Amino acid sequence: MAWMGSGHWSRDAMTSQLGVEANTSYSAIDAAWPGTLPKLNKSCVDLAVRTALACGANVQSFSAFDRKHYFYADLPAGYQITQKYAPLSLGGEVRISGSFGEKTIRLQQIQLEQENLKAIDLNRAGSALMELVSYPDMRSPEEAAAYVKTLQTLLRTVGSSDANMEQGSFRCDVNVSVNRPGDPFGTRCEIKNLNSVGFLITALNAEIYRHIELLDQGNQVIQETRGFDENRMITYKLRSKEDAPDYRYMPDSNLPPLILTQAYLQSIKAFLPEHPDHLRKRLVEQYGFNQQDVNVLLSIDAGRDVPFDGETGQSAVSFFEETVKGRNPKTVFNWIVNELVAQLVLHKRTFGQSPLSQAQLGDLIDLVETRKISIFINVEDCIKGTAAKDILRHILRTGAIEDIATLQANLGLMTIDVADVRMFCETAIGDFPDVAERVRQGNKKVLMKLVGAAMKLSNGRADANLVKTCLEDILIHRTI
Amino acid sequence: MWIKNAQDPGYDATVVNLLLENGAQILGKTNCDEFGMGSLSIHSFFKPVINPFTPANVPPAKKSEPRSAGGSSGGSAAIATHKLCFAALATDTGGSTRLPAAYCGVAGLKPSYGLISRWGVIAFADSLDTVGIIASKVENIRRVYVILIPVESDVVAQYDERDPTSVPVDIRNAAHDACEHFPVLEDINDLGKLRIGIPQEYFPAELGDTVLKPFRRVLQALEQRGASLIPVSLPSTKYALSAYYVLASAEASSNMARYDGVRYGMQYRPPYDADLSKTSDVYAHTRSFYFGKEVKKRILLGTYALTAESVHNVSVMEHIPNQPIFRAFDNYYLKAQELRKLIRQDFNNVFRIPNVLQSSNTSKTTTTQGVDILLHPTTIRTAPLLSEISDKGLDTYVQDVLTVPASLAGIPAISIPSIADDGWPVGTSIVGQWGSDEKVLKVAELMEKLMHETDSKTLT
Repeated sequence: MAWMGSGHWSRDAMTSQLGVEANTSYSAIDAAWPGTLPKLNKSCVDLAVRTALACGANVQSFSAFDRKHYFYADLPAGYQITQKYAPLSLGGEVRISGSFGEKTIRLQQIQLEQENLKAIDLNRAGSALMELVSYPDMRSPEEAAAYVKTLQTLLRTVGSSDANMEQGSFRCDVNVSVNRPGDPFGTRCEIKNLNSVGFLITALNAEIYRHIELLDQGNQVIQETRGFDENRMITYKLRSKEDAPDYRYMPDSNLPPLILTQAYLQSIKAFLPEHPDHLRKRLVEQYGFNQQDVNVLLSIDAGRDVPFDGETGQSAVSFFEETVKGRNPKTVFNWIVNELVAQLVLHKRTFGQSPLSQAQLGDLIDLVETRKISIFINVEDCIKGTAAKDILRHILRTGAIEDIATLQANLGLMTIDVADVRMFCETAIGDFPDVAERVRQGNKKVLMKLVGAAMKLSNGRADANLVKTCLEDILIHRTI
Repeated sequence: MWIKNAQDPGYDATVVNLLLENGAQILGKTNCDEFGMGSLSIHSFFKPVINPFTPANVPPAKKSEPRSAGGSSGGSAAIATHKLCFAALATDTGGSTRLPAAYCGVAGLKPSYGLISRWGVIAFADSLDTVGIIASKVENIRRVYVILIPVESDVVAQYDERDPTSVPVDIRNAAHDACEHFPVLEDINDLGKLRIGIPQEYFPAELGDTVLKPFRRVLQALEQRGASLIPVSLPSTKYALSAYYVLASAEASSNMARYDGVRYGMQYRPPYDADLSKTSDVYAHTRSFYFGKEVKKRILLGTYALTAESVHNVSVMEHIPNQPIFRAFDNYYLKAQELRKLIRQDFNNVFRIPNVLQSSNTSKTTTTQGVDILLHPTTIRTAPLLSEISDKGLDTYVQDVLTVPASLAGIPAISIPSIADDGWPVGTSIVGQWGSDEKVLKVAELMEKLMHETDSKTLT
């Protein structure tokens, strides 16, 4: 199930943000205050329909909402609004690949649900949730993990969720059954609420071996619902089939049925972001990337945070594609992955939280490529663009929105061509040959006289350290 | 008892906001059956509402014995009786506005479902709940009504986006247009164009002469002024009461689930040897202690109506569609839903105006065959003595038999008073097609005048 980024079930409810202090941002609706009524957020429907279409599912022109009743601390109204009898979409599929080869996982249905509270934090209540139910098509924990990862990428690509498991935006309930080759499926057990791919694999393995051990000892597997203990790495019984609550499903009388016209579906289709499978193929063909690069680019953080209600927004891919226009793909890729993302990770920020604009990055890359900016120690460092990196870090730290030229001036980083600096240095050497000779013989103290002369020639535009280094390179290291 | 200690929710109901914005003053809150569940206003933490009506020409000894004000909005009807207020708001789920209005001798309107916002109205059964208006005169009801539901189609009708069941403006306008076929009634002495249907199923065995006599006088007066009285049949009416109690209780059991004592209202501290291993165990103490008897009864009834009878047939993984299982849900809840459709269809069959909510009917042109309004007694009797009320058996539920069909169909109904031979009031209900509330009010105003004449004739 995925928590949809457009956020709220109800338009009137307050915007819910992760990381907000418990019980500080809830509305009367979320607390199920008597007299309040639910409201379906249209953009939630848009995003769920997008997801369904991206999976090739059959979006239903008529779907309706039902109440699922049970008493639990995370459920202020005593029921959850879901789509039991007439879900949003039926069918569809997700293609996965991995060491097991390629495989298609069929979907049963996609349904809209109202999110319950996370523990007893009302901030989370009333958010919109989308539940994707698959058929039992996965044969190993690896396939299940690949399915989850593929779904995450898909949800991020179509912009329906950040699919972040750690923040609880994406959770899985998995069913496990074990059988001998040739036998029909064994009795299944459901493990609820797994919240990371790592735990998913561990929990599945633990459960599979529990079943195998039971069967090897001649015992039966009892159908039940289980939880996963992250510390002990084992699953434990939550309730047996006999204890299964009677949810007393009932149509919700407040939310009218959801009628989706063909025209509406067409309008969603028209703005459907590129399917990840297609996107991968295109990135390889268009930019000459290998699969590794594509994986890196697609996995960058939460790709799309979705505050934009379905705007394709700034995913790493779209950020890349905007920046790469007229530039070298590999260079832009390196800047995004090795500089931008590395810095963001260092500051524990997501890609979506990056203040760096595509225009800023483009200008930075251009300055370095045309060798107009650097506090270079030598020519090699000049190409690495140390000064440009300083500006990038400055932007990330301060969120500066000025263009690069302004920032450069503010930071005292001069725009000067490397060749110009060298020319000033050589002119200074020519003007003071005796001083140059003394430097060559090891008298570094008089070097500053040459530095001063070169600085004067540049009208103060060149960085003093840079000039000094350049002179040293020419006279002492003789590297230039 | 839940409300006793209720915190301020921090917002007003849409109806309250609209009234305040238009200069109304809110005088106070009135007593009623707990959560609107009841027909006699006897299920209240604050004691029963006593009917304040004082019959003329009745020996003083008889007056002293207290009678029920009807329910559930008995308090609203009671304060309207002695004109302590210009008008009172009420709720009507199955008759809770019309019934007390009839017993207290005042007028009570249940508008079409979806016209008045339910935002801020504590839900009993969402698909049936409406905000009602009670007043001593129909004119007062109209004055409140035009604030809550502006009638001119060019005025932005009071669609409330906070209520997902609030009907959108285009459908309101469609209903307004459909009503143009309603006969123009200007002269009280010329009702020649008015076609009044008398539904034959609304005269059950329980209905006594006390009610029939004044009802006949009303019919006579109408006929004398040229109105056509047409016997009609609404054959599914006999199922209405059962369907209503299944649906209303099912929805109530769901809506009452939020009263767990955690976020609002009262909380009962369980004894310290209590088993609190499950969340529901903790809630059970509060819910058992603070819910009234009638509410608990309906929660149990509604819970059963939604239950899968045989738990073993239910899959733990509840996502497998189309499982053939037999459940109370199928036997009661779904059956009741089907009956509700039949009842709705019954009304559509007899009205001349099409129901704009039913897309298949929008093309249907106005027929000359149908009736403009239906007329029937609101109650089966006059207000019962509080001392004779027994909460055993079905007696209290039968009170609603004549009012629940309009609730199930979501159509407008107004009860206007007349006086029975024993001096106590009874009500006559005027029922119209969905969205014809304005016309129903118009007929009510005319009939109010007629009844003044007939009542004063019989009393002199």
